[in-house]
Amino acid sequence: MTDGPILWYLNRGTGVVVLVLLTITTVLGIVALGNRSGRGLPRFVTQALHRNLALLSVVLLAVHVVSAVVDEYVDIRWWQAFVPLGATYEPLWLGLGALALDLIAVVVLTSLLRHRMQHRAWRLLHVSSYGLWLMSLLHGIGMGTDLRGGWWIAAVACAAAVPLAATYRLFLLVTDRPTPEPNPPTTPTNVGVLR
Amino acid sequence: MTTYLDPHHTVRTDDARPASPVPIPTRVTVEPGPALLAGIEHGASLGAHRRQYGELPRLDRDALHDLVGRVRLRGRGGAAFPFATKLEALRRGRRPVLVINMSEGEPASSKDAALALTRPHLVIDGAVAAARALHARELHVVLPGDRPAAATAMRTALAERDDSVPVHSHVATPRFVAGQAKAVVELLAGRPNLPVTSWKPDAIAGHQGRPTLLSNAETWARLGLLVLRGEREYAAVGTRDESGATLLTLSRPGADPLVREAAYGDRLRDHLPAHAYGRPALIGGFHGSWATWETMASARVSVPGLRGLGVALGAGVVLSSPAGQCPLTLTSQVVDYLAGQSAGRCGPCFNGLPALAGALGAVRDGSGGPVRVTQLATLVERRGACAHPDGTVRLVRSLLGTFAAEVSAHGEGRCLEASRLRVVPVTAREFAS
Amino acid sequence: MSRQLRVDWPACRARGLCHEVLPDLVDLDEWGYPLVRGPVTDDLLADAQEAVRVCPRLALRLIDGR
Repeated sequence: MTDGPILWYLNRGTGVVVLVLLTITTVLGIVALGNRSGRGLPRFVTQALHRNLALLSVVLLAVHVVSAVVDEYVDIRWWQAFVPLGATYEPLWLGLGALALDLIAVVVLTSLLRHRMQHRAWRLLHVSSYGLWLMSLLHGIGMGTDLRGGWWIAAVACAAAVPLAATYRLFLLVTDRPTPEPNPPTTPTNVGVLR
Repeated sequence: MTTYLDPHHTVRTDDARPASPVPIPTRVTVEPGPALLAGIEHGASLGAHRRQYGELPRLDRDALHDLVGRVRLRGRGGAAFPFATKLEALRRGRRPVLVINMSEGEPASSKDAALALTRPHLVIDGAVAAARALHARELHVVLPGDRPAAATAMRTALAERDDSVPVHSHVATPRFVAGQAKAVVELLAGRPNLPVTSWKPDAIAGHQGRPTLLSNAETWARLGLLVLRGEREYAAVGTRDESGATLLTLSRPGADPLVREAAYGDRLRDHLPAHAYGRPALIGGFHGSWATWETMASARVSVPGLRGLGVALGAGVVLSSPAGQCPLTLTSQVVDYLAGQSAGRCGPCFNGLPALAGALGAVRDGSGGPVRVTQLATLVERRGACAHPDGTVRLVRSLLGTFAAEVSAHGEGRCLEASRLRVVPVTAREFAS
Repeated sequence: MSRQLRVDWPACRARGLCHEVLPDLVDLDEWGYPLVRGPVTDDLLADAQEAVRVCPRLALRLIDGR
């Protein structure tokens, strides 16, 4: 049975949850793990939370993708989950979702292999998290027009959470005591294998 | 005695960082000496050099190692590290890179500039001899960024030569930490001339991952003299345990500094200018230590000898504190300068050194005590990619140890130096009536 | 065999996770930078490895020897 409402529910359900999880993950990354932050919970706790929520989103994302592809009600091929162009069903919104998935793959893989690459390169790639979050949000809004009820509340809350977090972080940065900024080496000194 | 004028020198007013209390001199006076500085009156040209010393003999790695081992050649960059050990540590199997470090970031030192102006070919010959012996891939010269006459003189000397080893010259950024070994390797690679963390020693993997032998210009000059003149003549100067001589930069108030060559074993006082008599001096430069006149009066020019007296000769700087100059005030100014010279890369240094400077300033003003100073000193030591904080701490500790009475006086709002009765020497004739 | 926890100072940004994970060995100075109090003994090894792993700047290394 590859038809019927169960796959639709699975897809929509995991979609909303993934968006919420990605939003929380991103907010944690902004507020709790930067330079002048980390009040409250110890940082290694928020770091572990950030990591685990991201990994959980990946698992649920897999379910989200599989349920969409397997569902015969709409024509979505396997490759369209990864390639942002060429889809026939809602090409724009689906394309955004595919792009977001590609970026999630890059961010998660590089983070798992963090110790085997140069820190600066990892950091640069990690910044694409902002982009992937935004694309996920737009994908959700564009694809989720058949949702009713509480979905819009969740969408608005997610959409607001990240900019608010970013503003809060900027506020912290600006109002914090002015210590001299470090003058970083242009070539990383910490390329290393985990001991 | 020759004085060198630096017409291109301009006084730098660098952004907001505190200026050095001892500015880079615009002139330096160099006296003839027993070893490196013998015959400087003939000029610095390659022709004059060859007429005096002849062609550069060739020697292989083992011969080089034996030679430097027998005379126990030590580095002249400040650490007095045995050159033979440095050679031994150089990894075999890959062609090494040699570096002449002439950046002379220490404002109170002028000996490397003096060598550039008077004996550049001794410096280059020493490095070339080693380069040949070690089959070095290339030779790099790091010129000072704030002593244009010295840099020009070196370039002129390099242009006169035709050695088989390729030579590349670089200009150091005019900062105190620019001469640090890892900072120099960064400069060679085209990156900012600042220290980085060293996971592998330069002798194993330095510039471009190759074994790198970096030494001070004077060290190379000593090696050059050794190779050109031979062991016997080299060891005729100095003592049996410490052969050779070393360059000293002697400060003179209101005048350019004097660079002299002192043989090991000489009495230190015999090399000091008259104004230094009876006065304490900062020996070794801004990362050195204070010595009272009593210590200096009986001291011999000797690395272990001075170490035994609690003083490190370092790069041979003797910065006298003239009458009326409070050593606490001078040290506070030096530490202010050193704090501003932090590369700004390591948290304990770029936070701790300004705090240390502030605490020492409070001691000078009488608004704070030495406890905070020693506390901060312990916090910044050995917590950074280079030895800049360590050297600063050495200076501060020697101040507190040598001038404890002055520190107490300042705590009570007085200054012992300022209230000293000045004794003005008069000749006997003035008393005849 | 003793091991040392070494800090790559230019990389460290005083995030403090090393102290959270290994408070028996790592204190923080008044600016938040790590103070490593001694060598890594066998009982601290697992936590030290964890500290190296969690550092967000990869600024810690475990070195063999003195």
